[in-house]
Amino acid sequence: MKEIKFALYAIKKNIQNSAELKTSFLMNVFGMAINNTAFIIIWVFFVKTVGVINGWTASDIIGLLGFQAICFGIVLSIGDGLRRLPDLVSSGSFDRFLLSPKNLLVRIATSSFGPSAVGDTIFGIICLIFYGILIHATLYQILLIIFLIIVTTIIFLSLVIIIYSTSFLFTDSDQVTTGIFNFFLTPSLFNGGAFHGLMKFIFTFIVPSLLVGAIPVEIVRDISIRKILLISALTVFWFFLSIKIFNKCVKKYESSNFMTFGN
Amino acid sequence: MKAIRLASKILKTLTKDRMHYPERLIVDTLSVLARFGVLITLYSYVFKINGGVINNTTFVVAAWSMFFYFSFMILGLRNISKVIMHDVRTGNVEVLFSKPISYIFYRFWWQIGLGLYSFVVITIVGGLTLYLAIGFPSTFASSIFLFTVPFVFLGGVILSLILYGIVGLLAFWIQDINPVFWIVDKAVMILGGSYLPVALFPLIMYKIALYSPFGASQFLTHSVYESWQGNWYELFSIQFFWIIILGFTLYFMFRGAKKKVSVNGG
Repeated sequence: MKEIKFALYAIKKNIQNSAELKTSFLMNVFGMAINNTAFIIIWVFFVKTVGVINGWTASDIIGLLGFQAICFGIVLSIGDGLRRLPDLVSSGSFDRFLLSPKNLLVRIATSSFGPSAVGDTIFGIICLIFYGILIHATLYQILLIIFLIIVTTIIFLSLVIIIYSTSFLFTDSDQVTTGIFNFFLTPSLFNGGAFHGLMKFIFTFIVPSLLVGAIPVEIVRDISIRKILLISALTVFWFFLSIKIFNKCVKKYESSNFMTFGN
Repeated sequence: MKAIRLASKILKTLTKDRMHYPERLIVDTLSVLARFGVLITLYSYVFKINGGVINNTTFVVAAWSMFFYFSFMILGLRNISKVIMHDVRTGNVEVLFSKPISYIFYRFWWQIGLGLYSFVVITIVGGLTLYLAIGFPSTFASSIFLFTVPFVFLGGVILSLILYGIVGLLAFWIQDINPVFWIVDKAVMILGGSYLPVALFPLIMYKIALYSPFGASQFLTHSVYESWQGNWYELFSIQFFWIIILGFTLYFMFRGAKKKVSVNGG
């Protein structure tokens, strides 16, 4: 409870801090929202040219981008500090986090705020509203969408924690973590109809990119209890795995002691 | 002569550096695998269920067109925008301005040098793998293709550097160029034929790709199509036109930027 209180306080202060630079903040938010529409343009033209694949229509792709953007936006706006881990580790600034009496992971995640990710969140909300309208969502489907937003956000957070925990394992980890992150993120933006057979298995269970976009859309569309149970179980699995990996990786940290006292 | 010496020194040093630290090669390979690898699987399936031909284009041609796009992207020329913004924000630009070299050309060569090693390795290995998997399109055997590809590639490199250089120079006037960068970058991504090959573009989108600088910077992706045999000189002219227009824009912006620099000392 104390940790949540602290996290909320840190997030509030971070938002206030970012909002001080009003023009830059707004440009980042709206720039990112416009930037994301590129994927809608691409996939809508794709469906128009090649037709529906495995039942995936243009509205399903809007839903996919909605889920993906919303979890990306929530995690990387309030938990932007996780993305700074490679820099914190290589510069030795990580020492000050170790000395903090607060929960280490919460302290790192909330140490920075990503204003551009707010644009992703707004874009995601708009997409999901449109998606709901396009599929004539029932009350049950609307509740399912809200539930799946929570679930996909936890999965996305878990994957971000795992990926950026590798910062403790490499010397020049910035590029490695970026590469692994893109490897996970890119397939989550693709038309879900493209994944079948072995590809679907790999990107669901090994690199769980489909869990933050394609699978939630399939659940809303088909209302499959089996898939709801599967995604819930995988959420719990990835979350606990991420905490375990993070704690294990932190032990690899060696202070570079630049005598900068965290500056 | 001095300029050539500087360029070759930068390229040599950075290539050696990249060979010594192979992390970037791993990152670039992962990135290409994630994007191109998944895309190619998607399109092989899409072409299969559409009888092998979409918009008079076969899978082999579409695959090589997309491969050219992703291979070109490995050069990482677009990152010049962020590098210039970083220089401006940190004050590094003051130091570089005081050196007896052209800042813009220094940054151009630096950007090419950073991506050159990964570009060469991944293009050769990726190209060979793709050839073994699906073969070459028949257009590769034409003399027009062989003669024009190096030039359209070079034009793409120059135009990309100028385009993203202009975005970078905006940092002298606006504090955060990221929103502008995202929009330009996504325009290049859409119109360059990344996720949707140019042959599958609707007519209006194809026209925009043809006549905008964003699409012109990626004309390399057009070179694998049959239509290239007949319209290569038109596309060359468009690319050349944008290099001249945007080249002048960059030149005048850079002159203006120099006047905006305030040396804070320290």
